[in-house]
Amino acid sequence: MVDIQFIGLLNATLQAATLLFIAALGELITEKSGILNLGVEGMISIGAVSGFIAAINTGSLFFAIIIGVLSASVFASIHAFVTVVLKQDQTVSGLILTILGLSLSSLIGKKHVGKKLDVKLESVVNIAEPDSILDIFLSQNIIFYLGILLMVATAYVLKRTMFGRRLEAIGEDLKSSDSMGLKIAKTQFIATCVGGAFAGLSGVYLTLSYVPYWTDGMTAGRGWIALALVIFGGWKPYRTAFGALLFGFLEALGPRLQTYGFEMSPYIVKITPYIITILVLILLTIFKNGDTGAPRNIGIPFFRENR
Amino acid sequence: MNNYILSKKLFRNELSTFYSFLIGFIVALFVGSLILLIQDKNPIDVFSLMLKLSVGSINSLSNSLNKAIPLILAGLGISIINSVRLWNIGAEGQIFMGALALNFFYINSSIQNSTLYIFLLLTASFIGGSICILIPALTKVLFGVNEIITTLLTNYIVFGLTIYLINGVWKDPASLNFPAAAYVNESVYLPIIVGKLSSGFLICIIFTLLAFYIKDKSVFGYEMRIAGGSELTAIYAGISAKQKAFLAMLIGGGFAGLAGGIELLSQTHRVSTGISQGFGYTAIIVAAITGMRPLGIFLVGCLFGALTIGGSVIQTIGVSSYIAEIIQATTLFGALVAQFFFSYEIKKKVENG
Amino acid sequence: MTVPILEVKGISKTFGKVKALDSVDFYLQKGVVHGLLGENGAGKSSLMNVLSGIYIPEQGTIKIQNKKIERLNPELASSLGIGMVHQEFRLIENFTIKDNLTLSKANIFLENFKEAYLKYSEIFSLNSSYNTLVKDLSVGEKQKVEIMKLIFKNSAIMLLDEPTAVLTPQETSQLKISLETLSKEDEKTIVLITHKLKEIKDFTETIFVMKNGKMVAENLQTDKVSDKHLIELMMGEIKTMSFKKDNLKGETKLEVQNISLINNDEVNVLKDISFNIKSGEILGVAGVSGNGQVELSNVICGIQQEFNGKVLINSNDVSGKGVKSRKKLNLSYIPENRLGVGLAPGVSVLDNSAIREYFKASYGPHLSKGKMLNYLNDLIKQFSIKAPDVKAEISTLSGGNMQKLLMGRELISNPEVIVAAQPTRGLDVSAVESIHKLIINQRDEGSAVLLISEDLDELFKLSDRIIVLYEGRIIKEVDIESANIESLGLAMAGINE
Repeated sequence: MVDIQFIGLLNATLQAATLLFIAALGELITEKSGILNLGVEGMISIGAVSGFIAAINTGSLFFAIIIGVLSASVFASIHAFVTVVLKQDQTVSGLILTILGLSLSSLIGKKHVGKKLDVKLESVVNIAEPDSILDIFLSQNIIFYLGILLMVATAYVLKRTMFGRRLEAIGEDLKSSDSMGLKIAKTQFIATCVGGAFAGLSGVYLTLSYVPYWTDGMTAGRGWIALALVIFGGWKPYRTAFGALLFGFLEALGPRLQTYGFEMSPYIVKITPYIITILVLILLTIFKNGDTGAPRNIGIPFFRENR
Repeated sequence: MNNYILSKKLFRNELSTFYSFLIGFIVALFVGSLILLIQDKNPIDVFSLMLKLSVGSINSLSNSLNKAIPLILAGLGISIINSVRLWNIGAEGQIFMGALALNFFYINSSIQNSTLYIFLLLTASFIGGSICILIPALTKVLFGVNEIITTLLTNYIVFGLTIYLINGVWKDPASLNFPAAAYVNESVYLPIIVGKLSSGFLICIIFTLLAFYIKDKSVFGYEMRIAGGSELTAIYAGISAKQKAFLAMLIGGGFAGLAGGIELLSQTHRVSTGISQGFGYTAIIVAAITGMRPLGIFLVGCLFGALTIGGSVIQTIGVSSYIAEIIQATTLFGALVAQFFFSYEIKKKVENG
Repeated sequence: MTVPILEVKGISKTFGKVKALDSVDFYLQKGVVHGLLGENGAGKSSLMNVLSGIYIPEQGTIKIQNKKIERLNPELASSLGIGMVHQEFRLIENFTIKDNLTLSKANIFLENFKEAYLKYSEIFSLNSSYNTLVKDLSVGEKQKVEIMKLIFKNSAIMLLDEPTAVLTPQETSQLKISLETLSKEDEKTIVLITHKLKEIKDFTETIFVMKNGKMVAENLQTDKVSDKHLIELMMGEIKTMSFKKDNLKGETKLEVQNISLINNDEVNVLKDISFNIKSGEILGVAGVSGNGQVELSNVICGIQQEFNGKVLINSNDVSGKGVKSRKKLNLSYIPENRLGVGLAPGVSVLDNSAIREYFKASYGPHLSKGKMLNYLNDLIKQFSIKAPDVKAEISTLSGGNMQKLLMGRELISNPEVIVAAQPTRGLDVSAVESIHKLIINQRDEGSAVLLISEDLDELFKLSDRIIVLYEGRIIKEVDIESANIESLGLAMAGINE
């Protein structure tokens, strides 16, 4: 028998972490290819709203997930087009993607604000009253397990497959990759769309499970935390997962602090992930001689000088 | 395959930024129209209503210009920092920090002369903005920590701090459900010039000229340009590139902080989450779209201010206010696409044997 | 003679007005180590870029394996087995040796990587596991990986651009053995591109020599050709057309005393350097680049402030002081790296023109655009610079005009001391001529000039005295009257008889 409050905290931690992690993992893939996409918040939002609308209209959760993932991926292709094909500034483009994503999803979702969903992503194993840590894990829904699967798959693809190694090679060193004959534009385009798809999945998780309704601005800065997570995790899938658990824990802990008898403000707890990330970034830069784990050629548009 | 090569154009039309903006804006209006059509609204009706309600009368025009103030000031700050080729994604946080610093100074002081008081309060907000960017600036010049990420993250820290303060020590007991700090005294409100136009707009004009002067006419601006162009050239010329970068960041942060101060003294009159509604992010669009030119930022800032006002008023006829944001964002995307064709050319490969 | 594995005939390539390659013939025999000798700017790199498909020549034919190739591009060249090692490595630092060797699209050792690695790491005596990160390797080891990359890409023809420039003497002799093994056992065709005489003699079986975009000697048997002959070919005859050397020398303007410098990698890059230059005198510094020239000029000009020894300008000790102290004493520095140090890329022509004296166009914090423009217009007139739009980025100027702008900016104030590093590198003949005249004019105005150059013609033409830098040390010092080109060439290669 585990403390009931602890059960609630753990459950909330896992849910918050899942949401953050999947988006962060997608951004990790994008960044590994050398493309910085600051549009995570916008992509999550697009995934969330389109998945929600699809679920409302069709009642099919499977279909809703597909729609959410696809639409966020297509949305991310705007960034891919502007930065990879047109070689424009990645910072600007990504930020605008966030602004556009937030406003567009608010526009699309306007009619559906406050609607309640008839269907909801159910637990994989139905446990009425979870009272052990194992129960908590078992009572998570399919996207949680999908997240774990994606983590392992991403780590495997990046480290062990030719495609993954080449993708990383491009983000590390554009010139060398070009001299190796690697297809830079194609890879970066794919990586950006995959990043969008992951953010879309995260968005679907938000509206189909985490808070099963739609309202404006419900992403509430999670896209930015996901970006921070990638840095915190040193661009490594497993460390990013650990970071997601930590940040998810902090998010879950905030509103529960008082029940534990702490006088700390939940608002301060909420900003700790950002403070931790800045500290980690600074410490890594100082002590690892600037080697934060970031892909070395991130943010640089590739252009082969011809004569 | 591969019969075409992409090459950078040596000479770009001087007005290419302006043309790109125009093209982007037209594209954005087109996209906006499409969205409206999908929603069964007549775009011409909606846009003319927006136009009427944003610039059609003294009051609506002054509302628009009031909205432009934070966009312009934060945009100017971003453009100054960009002189050394650095990004400031933290204007949103700096705006809040400016308001917090102003309120902090206000709570802990009492000055009879209200003109002097306003001046000091606004100075405090400027300093607040600088403080907000201090850590990103220091870590950038000392260790080379990526300023895009650090300025971005400070937004959320400052926002969190704001919520903490207005729910805690600064919470106004009179404001029941809506967390906010107490109102400042009416004596420190920024006076109205005409209609509803705040005198903050005058400050905004002055700072636009100031930013223009700093960037284009001053020794400091020149040194920033050289430092931004190449750190090695700066060292060769005897210019401390790091010092210029540091100062540029503090000044740029200060501009955004001032925007928060003016917003507080002219619009909200107290610290609340309403100090900024994403002005710091929209300011990035404004700055980027004008190629970081202060006078351009002023004009586009006014236009975007009007768009925002237009967007918020058309809600009355059942059109989402987000149409304004979508137009703003799409303008920049359209401009980026146009910019590509101004800076690159696609040539057919020369055949020779 | 067997059919060459690669044969090019009558290759010409021009950039603007410069003939980089002038009807060049070149041919390679399978399994042989070839040498391609020539000074900087002789056209070696251009020829290699043609062979690897980067430049498309205007004229000439290319035959590979006796098959005529109509239009070579980088992908085609690579698939035909032409591989090149550039001077700057194309290695991914954060990746393992294995990744760097295998990620290329053309990798042939996918299945049997381990055996292949074993074989070739032995040939190169590379004692690192293939899981070692490239960034943890020494420069010499990286070089080995870079060459191995070509083998893994199945390149039959390996073009090595100055491969020994970064190697220690031990590594160099090791590389020699490795290349011999490759050419004999794997029948690799190797081209060693270099301007180092000693190595071309040591490494190769046959030598080609280029000068001024032309192939001046083909297929010389290495064991039958003398050093002297090679130097004559490479340097050409000294043109007697030189400036008058009856210049009047005055007071000592620049004094350099016992300069030593240890760089960040703890390498002793300058060793006890002393010299002085009088007013109206040009001291030439000869030497292959990378022998301490950049460091020496940085020390003299105040960019490198921590060093041992003293720098005196007009008898004022400026050691430990910065760039501005030199400017006050009217020293001008024309750095080797034109765009990136001397000029700021991405910044306008106007801004770049003012870098030396922008503070003279200021009133307090105000910078007068008018004054800057006047100054630039003076420069444009006096140094006949072609600048179509002064507000456009500096990169809109041609190389020659960039250099004229840089020189003009540094010379217009009649400096007391001038440090000019490689002032004519990469420029066409007419631009070189006008820059030489500028330097001579300055000499006659009474400046003390330190002229750093790899081009011996230039040094002979302009200098009053010449010193040769080799591995951070002055290995030779001669007056121009008693100098001869062979002994200087040998000294540049580290041989001082």
